[in-house]
Amino acid sequence: MMTLITELFLMPLVAFVIGLFMVLMMRKIGARLQRRVGPPFFQPLIDIIKFHSKETQISHGLIHDIGIIMAVGGYIAAETLLPVPGMDGIADKGGIIALTYFLMIPSLGLALGVGQCANPNGSIGISRALTAMLAYDIPFVIVIFGVSWHYGTTNLVEMVNYQQANGWGIVEMPILALAGLFTLQGIMGKQPFEIYVAPAEIATGPMVEMGGKYMGGLFIMQAFQFYTAGVLYTTLFLGGGENWPTFLMKIFIVVSIPIMIAYMFPRYRTEDMLRLMWKWPVIAGLIGLALVMH
Amino acid sequence: MSDLKQIPVVAKETGKERTNPLANVFDELIRFAQARSMFMLHYCTGCGAIELPPAMTSRFDMERLGIQPMVTPRQADILLITGYVSIKTLKRIILTYEQMPSPKYVIGICSCTVNGGMYWQSYATAKKLNEYLPVDLYIAGCMPRPEAVIEGLRLLMDNIKSGKSEPWKDYYQRYDYYLGNQQHLFGDDWQTPTDIIGEAEHFGLMGPETEGEHTRLLQQHQQPLEPHKMRLK
Repeated sequence: MMTLITELFLMPLVAFVIGLFMVLMMRKIGARLQRRVGPPFFQPLIDIIKFHSKETQISHGLIHDIGIIMAVGGYIAAETLLPVPGMDGIADKGGIIALTYFLMIPSLGLALGVGQCANPNGSIGISRALTAMLAYDIPFVIVIFGVSWHYGTTNLVEMVNYQQANGWGIVEMPILALAGLFTLQGIMGKQPFEIYVAPAEIATGPMVEMGGKYMGGLFIMQAFQFYTAGVLYTTLFLGGGENWPTFLMKIFIVVSIPIMIAYMFPRYRTEDMLRLMWKWPVIAGLIGLALVMH
Repeated sequence: MSDLKQIPVVAKETGKERTNPLANVFDELIRFAQARSMFMLHYCTGCGAIELPPAMTSRFDMERLGIQPMVTPRQADILLITGYVSIKTLKRIILTYEQMPSPKYVIGICSCTVNGGMYWQSYATAKKLNEYLPVDLYIAGCMPRPEAVIEGLRLLMDNIKSGKSEPWKDYYQRYDYYLGNQQHLFGDDWQTPTDIIGEAEHFGLMGPETEGEHTRLLQQHQQPLEPHKMRLK
């Protein structure tokens, strides 16, 4: 019982620290691709401290506050469902179905919070974000269904054990893994699919009225988001975590792929994103599913 | 005011006893974070804007100092005004400034923000920016090179770190003065959506000159903010 409580505290904390490194990696990769030096080592943490130290924090109402708590809290809950080396938390009780639901909470929380801000840019942004969620969730669900069928379980811990005994999922289901990688770009909200942020056109969309601690909360959410995406893909296809060094290497490589793609692309419009997401990853996912189920 | 004692001095808040032994350490940390992470909203009004892209991109790379462009006032720390400020623009700048969360800093780039520059004789240009907003720093030049811009930002950084850069408090504490100058330009019925006096009361930033004859004039003309009516044309 004691170990479980310790794990429930430790897992989000570890996720946050690793997530900060991932944000740093994203900004460094972006800087290097643009031939710049990039931010200093502690920059992601300094940004978060700065946002929380603002002296006039303007709230737009109760739901605005609760929305941010939901956005961060949804990810904190999701971290306890993701198995990492040495710590399972409640991963074997939750399973991947529960995790999929938890991953929707942040977007919905953000939608609530943005709704109360009553800024037209925010409303446009969040409607695009929810449409984007609709776009990437269809291939995501197909991939999850195929993976669960292949392993014969929805339990993430058993999936990791299966892969460590029989080889990685990416070898056994390469087409599903490809569809998963495509979906990951959407889940992380990176460049070809980041129309809902669109800084120059709708002033960062959902984040337009978020200042001070609210923006700080969203920066924390971003760290969790990167970590969750990396660990989820690693658990499904790359054998999960045997020990920390290989695990860290895997998740950082997984996260760096969408980031590198992101800095080389402009963005698609929402309807183009929907068309793209419902076509190629869905086709790939269905073919992969057929190969798994035959 | 020949006597020194008559000059109003806003006392720092001494009422609160600081019992936490780490309070000074936290203050130091916060000042460090505020100095090393500055998001700037560049209000590109004039030709000075052309010097910002080289300062931000690979030639001079502001991000190594923790300075990033941001697009909405709510997320920004610095308001960068790059060029002449016409009276119409000044209204938007004040609206933008008042929406930023404090601590906030204003930097005027180019000679035009200092004294009107080449628009000195223009009837439609606000000459001195610091009559309408508390300006932290001017970077003079027509236009200043990116080195000068970065030098200015580093100076602001040092000021924040040593706790010297607090003109944003001045806007709350001497709101009457700034509002008076704004009313002089825009007319008596000038009002902004942000309730500065209310914010100053809420966050404990009231000074002796927060309220005065100009704020009374504002309260006479103030209309309550209402959402726009839905209209189908």
